Amino acid sequence: MKTIDIVRRAARSLRSAKTRTILTSLAIAVGAFTITVSLAVGEGARQYADNLINSNVNPKALFIVKDKTLFEGGAQRAAITEYNPDAAQTAAGATIVSMTQKDVDALSARSDIESVVPTYNPVVRYMTFDGSSKKYSADVSTYNDSILSESAYGSLPPQNQQLGDTDAVVPEAFVDTLIKAGVIKEGADLVGKKVTLTAVQATVTPTTDQISAAFATGGQAAVEDLVKPQTKDFTFTIRAVSQKSSSALTGVTAVQIAPNAARAISEFITAGTNEYQKYLGVTALVKGDTDPQKVKEALNNAGYYTQTAKDLQGLIFTVVNTLQGIVLGFGIIALIASVFGIINTQYISVLERTREIGLMKALGMRGRSVSRLFQFEAAWIGFLGGIIGAAIAVVLGVTLNPWVTSVLGLSEGTKLLIFQPLPIAGMIIVLIFIAMLAGWFPARKAAKLDPIEALRTE
Amino acid sequence: MIEIKNVTKTYGKKGSTFQALKDVSLTIPDGASVAIVGKSGSGKSTLMHAMSGLDRPEAGEVIIDGVDILKLKKKAVDTFRSEKIGFIFQSFFVQANESCYDNVSLPLEISNSKASQRKVRIEEALATVDLSDKLKQKARNLSGGQKQRLAIARAIVNKPSIIFADEPTGNLDSTTGEKVEDLLFSLNKKEGSTLIIVTHDTDLARKCDVQVYIKDGQIEQTVGLAASTAGKEHK
Ligand SMILES: Nc1ncnc2c1ncn2[C@@H]1O[C@H](COP(=O)(O)OP(=O)(O)OP(=O)(O)O)[C@@H](O)[C@H]1O
Ligand SMILES: [Mg+2]
Repeated sequence: MKTIDIVRRAARSLRSAKTRTILTSLAIAVGAFTITVSLAVGEGARQYADNLINSNVNPKALFIVKDKTLFEGGAQRAAITEYNPDAAQTAAGATIVSMTQKDVDALSARSDIESVVPTYNPVVRYMTFDGSSKKYSADVSTYNDSILSESAYGSLPPQNQQLGDTDAVVPEAFVDTLIKAGVIKEGADLVGKKVTLTAVQATVTPTTDQISAAFATGGQAAVEDLVKPQTKDFTFTIRAVSQKSSSALTGVTAVQIAPNAARAISEFITAGTNEYQKYLGVTALVKGDTDPQKVKEALNNAGYYTQTAKDLQGLIFTVVNTLQGIVLGFGIIALIASVFGIINTQYISVLERTREIGLMKALGMRGRSVSRLFQFEAAWIGFLGGIIGAAIAVVLGVTLNPWVTSVLGLSEGTKLLIFQPLPIAGMIIVLIFIAMLAGWFPARKAAKLDPIEALRTE
Repeated sequence: MIEIKNVTKTYGKKGSTFQALKDVSLTIPDGASVAIVGKSGSGKSTLMHAMSGLDRPEAGEVIIDGVDILKLKKKAVDTFRSEKIGFIFQSFFVQANESCYDNVSLPLEISNSKASQRKVRIEEALATVDLSDKLKQKARNLSGGQKQRLAIARAIVNKPSIIFADEPTGNLDSTTGEKVEDLLFSLNKKEGSTLIIVTHDTDLARKCDVQVYIKDGQIEQTVGLAASTAGKEHK
């Protein structure tokens, strides 16, 4: 019997048992729906992450450290480690091997590296705005010139051009608070305004010799001066107010300044301590067309640990893939349940149609064709379930996408559910095969029926 | 020509065996109409199943057109049935959920006949049994007599050389039964196909060229064409 004839008979037989067919395929549809959603979420999250990284990380950038554990998110460290004069202590008390100025100079001297910027840690105690004595706490970060940001007021330098050393960029989030406090009347007033960052030097325990020397020259007051923390004001002119963007990774509440200014602050606060000119890591840009991966390998051979923009992407993708895997898992569980549904209904169908099977075999139909008839019925059920599940997922996803975007506060047009026809088609084909596999047991029973016995059944 | 030689069929295993056919021999010439008559449980259906290749007796030969079908592989027997045999059953066995057209189409699909020829042959067969107007109707909507006529259309659509009818009128009232009988005999005359009818009905049996009387799995008497009397020689 020709395959096309068997497929047609299978389809007709399902059509004459509509309720049974639809109920059985709904079980598969649940699995298909979950899998379609997981595919769409995974793709959406990957594209979103991709977009996020591309707009925040220069593909030529390398992040270089000397301590591997920084990349391993606090992987096991020995409880006791040998003292290292170049090592800095993290808050958790773990020792981290820092980069020194010597490392920075060595990296800058390399022919495959264009520029090196250490990650300064410009911590300030507070900030004040011109014309107001109010003190505000402030996060300070280094301005990233490899990304083109947008400004709400004022103007930012073009891409790949740094801020001037006395320029600052403040986030739009400041505007409301400052208007309420009466510092400014409207956002545009911030442009051109002076902001002062006040940094406090870490106290250094003076040696006995220093104390005696101070006492000898200035008495008690000089000694107090010696142990009193030093403060210093760094004044900047606000050049622009940055607009908040959904795809920006940088803290929205940070005041951004040029690397030189950041260095000045971080060197001031660490002066005299063993953290002076020590950096957790540096950001380097590779030269011209050099492959970042090649530079990474060279640096790793030289005793550094390097991450490229791609590595960072891989890191985020791992998280996305894990989440997707979990959703996919639920879909697969639903599918396993539906497999038993198919086996069950098809067994009942074989029993109901014993005489029909007997007749077909009496008329000379091969057991193999009978078996295929039932397997194709199962395949139709799988196909139907896949289509129903995928269709519901797509319709729901497309209608809910704008809502999801607004709830998560993503920028306009960002889609977190992205449906691609090819993976969905692939899934439906896999579902058809799974359904046929499930239909195999009942089909074999049908194929083995003895026509005489079957025709005797009343 | 159908030649049955020393066929024995035993049901059951070991302790409780039952011989439904005991060393049966019979010859049926091409184109004859044959009635197999006997009491209930005498082995009529068993004999029919053996002759049509539905069943495999453990001993003897069933030679049809020179080939012993008991020696053929299962696949070859299936092909033989799909090409040369038509079946009509007491309880019709039409596919209730399929249209008349698709019911009649089944044997053509099974025997892999060309799709282009099917339509003409199906319409012809339905016209023969006077069901042309029911072409698209579901078989479940037909009356008993119409169902049996549909079964006949299905049996003849492939132009088989032998048609087996097991109690074809058993479930029909006498008038409807007679119509079906007339249809079967006219086909037998017109198409020249061999017609083998299993029946209780002596009136129907008398209309056949040959009557084979069967009792307790043995042929008691064969009446009719001289050639078929060969069946008696084992006695
Ligand atoms: N599968 C089987 N197992 C055991 N015995 C069987 C089997 N099939 C048939 N028989 C027995 O074989 C004998 C012949 O049965 P068969 O069906 O050929 O009778 P029949 O002449 O067609 O009767 P009826 O007119 O009632 O249809 C009966 O006694 C029956 O009980
Ligand atoms: Mg019988």
